[in-house]
This record gives sequence, C-alpha cells and structure tokens, in this order.
Amino acid sequence: MFKKASFLLLIIGLGLISCSKDPISDLSNEESLVYITNHDKSANFTQYKTFSIVDSVLIVENTRAGTSLDDIDRAMLQRLITNMESMGYRHVGRKENPDVGINVSWITNTYLNVYQPLSSYYGGYWGGYGYGYPNYYSYYETSESSWVISMLDFKNPQTTPSGKTFNAVWEAQIRGAAIGDQKLVDKMADSIFGQSGYLKIK
Amino acid sequence: MKRIIIIALFLGSVLPALAQEKPKLYTIASPFERYTHYLATARFMGAVPMGSFKDNYIDKTSFQNFSLSIEWVLRNSPLSVGGEIGSTYFEKRVPRALYEGSEGTISAVQTRTVSQYPVEVFSNYHFLPRNSQVQPYVQISGGASILDYTVYYGTLSSQDQKVRFKYGIGAGSKFLFKKDGTLGLDVRVKYDGTAYKYDYIDKGISSVNGSIGLFYRWW
Repeated sequence: MFKKASFLLLIIGLGLISCSKDPISDLSNEESLVYITNHDKSANFTQYKTFSIVDSVLIVENTRAGTSLDDIDRAMLQRLITNMESMGYRHVGRKENPDVGINVSWITNTYLNVYQPLSSYYGGYWGGYGYGYPNYYSYYETSESSWVISMLDFKNPQTTPSGKTFNAVWEAQIRGAAIGDQKLVDKMADSIFGQSGYLKIK
Repeated sequence: MKRIIIIALFLGSVLPALAQEKPKLYTIASPFERYTHYLATARFMGAVPMGSFKDNYIDKTSFQNFSLSIEWVLRNSPLSVGGEIGSTYFEKRVPRALYEGSEGTISAVQTRTVSQYPVEVFSNYHFLPRNSQVQPYVQISGGASILDYTVYYGTLSSQDQKVRFKYGIGAGSKFLFKKDGTLGLDVRVKYDGTAYKYDYIDKGISSVNGSIGLFYRWW
C-alpha cells in the first residue's frame, strides 16, 4: 500500500513540475514591444541643426544584406522624419551637408540551438564514437528581428587610416513579437523619441 | 390502550438505536493509536509575498500553489516526520515603464515571475492525542527549492535558474471527518523562506502561505 502511494505521489509530483506557465501569452501586440535607446553621453545635440534620412530600410539577415521599401518601411521613415522635425531638426537632402544622418535597419538574427534532453558524461573521450552529436540531440532554430535606428554624427567625422567614419550619437532598438505590425509603426517611432528627451533642440 | 401500544412500539424501535450509538464491542485502542501510520496530504495554497521580496519584486498574492506531502505519524510520540513536494508561482505585471540599464533606456511592459518547486522534509509536533478528531500541530521544514526567476520585458526574457536552500515554520490543524476515520481536512499557515539573491531580489524569497488540504491516513 505504501509503495503504491509513494509511486502515485511521484507521478503527481512530476505532473506538477511539467506543467509549464506562459505568463506573457496575454500581452497585446502593443504591450509586447520593447524600446531600447542609448546615446553618447558626451554629445551636445544642440550643435546639430539639420538631418537627412536613408531612402530605404537596410535589411540585415545574419551576414546577408539588402534594402527594402515596403509600405511598412515607408511608414517608418515618414514617421521618423515627423519626429525629428518636431524635435527641432530640419530635414535636408543627403547632398546638403546634413549635421546628422538617420539610418534605419531591420536586423534578423537566426540562431541554431542544440537541444540535449539529458546531459551525459563522456569523460572527454570521444574515440570510437566518432565526432559530432549523438543522434538523440535535436535541433531547433530561433530568429529574432528588430528595428535599429541610429543617428550618425556627420558634423564631426573621425578620420582613421581607412577613411572617414561617423560616430553614432544615438541609437534605438525596437524589439518584440509585433515589430512587423504596420498599425503600430507610428507608435514605435513616437515612443523611441518620446523616451529620448535629450534630443530636443527647440 | 392502542395509544400506549403505539408509544411502546415507538420507544422499542428508537431506544435500541440510541443505545447502539456508542457500541463497546472491543476495548482495544484504534490501530491509529497503536501503530506508526502513514498520512498523505494534498494542499492548495494561497501565498502572500513578504518583506523585501514584496517591496522590490512581486507584491501580488498568488493562488497557483500546490503541494503533496507524505508523513509517518510515529508510535508513542507526538511527532510525525515526512516529506513534501510542491509548486509555487508568483507573477506580477508592471505597466509600461522606463528602466535605465547598461544597455541604455528600456521601455517595456514588465512581467515578473518566480516559480519554485520545493522539495522538503518536515516534522510536526501534535498537541493532542493522535486519534483525536482535531489535531493541532506546529511544523518545521527544510529542503531545497528548484527555482526559476524570469523577468519578461515585453516578449523578451531574462532568466535565472537555481537550486537554493529553503525553510519553513508553520502551524495548523488536522480535522478528521469522523472519529477513527481515515479522511480529513488539513488547514495550515506557514512562513516560507528561500535563500536567493539575484537582480531585483536582494534578501531572499519570503511568503506566508495559507493552505487547505485533504488528507488520507492508513497503516
């Protein structure tokens, strides 16, 4: 009787442990978004008056890169211009010596994860087994995309042996499950500027 | 005359039944008195966060807590010893706010969680005889907590998983549904503490749990 009871206890216990929770399943698209902004603490933004912006969104996927100008990209670029203007900067063309440049990219990182159900000890000895993973390993791929918007200081270029480089004085990342939701583009652009009050020059 | 017969018949049917309420068929004590016996309890708990855990991390009461225990009620002793495993879960949603970190300024809806799977041994001291229908007790427990600390920023997460020492002190009472029976109700209030320090949690995870449970005993 006791054996039976403890066995039952074990089963129920394992059942309790294996029921997993998903605390973020009730987040709305808007709530899932995360805005991360950072800036060069030594930068004095009042020295900048004009800005230009890229004409399309740079798409970076692991090591490949290209550009894109879909509806969502257009909407994002447009809203960034609106926000820069309301911060007090004047929008000029790339050829008109802007003080800062706004870069917009969509970056996707794909990771290959190896899932090992149980850890095993090989004692560092692989001889006889060959190299590589045992066949009970399984693989899964995860990828995460994010918007990365940066402000480059064209006014004070750094001269290096390989040519001119520009410092990023401000950078914003937009991450989360719903960053491809076109309805939220305005909200995203407004939010990254909203939490970066130091950019305001008027 | 008829009426007397009816009353006599009535008394004749009722009195023996009254007399049978307390049969004295044997004088040997119940097996639960004579032997060390087993007792298994399943509990459902409400947990209230305490101290700095409450102040700095989660202040929301949780009702997603369960435990199972099995104990040996010792012969000729007011003590019982046993083991308890469980699952406790705290969660709190913080509306969108700004967080300053090494990465910069983060704006996010935060979801704070702590899940624990405590594995403990415990000892109960009972104040009344082991077969009385109400059995108040005090409890001390200690063991390990398999814990998972996850803070979600939107859908991104920051996680820490550890096994840490935990302990508890409690007081409660068992209530047998019927005298000398095998089933009963268990009510317990317990303070639980887990030694843990990470991120928002600087002085451990502490909570007061009120539980209601069902127990079954056998020998």
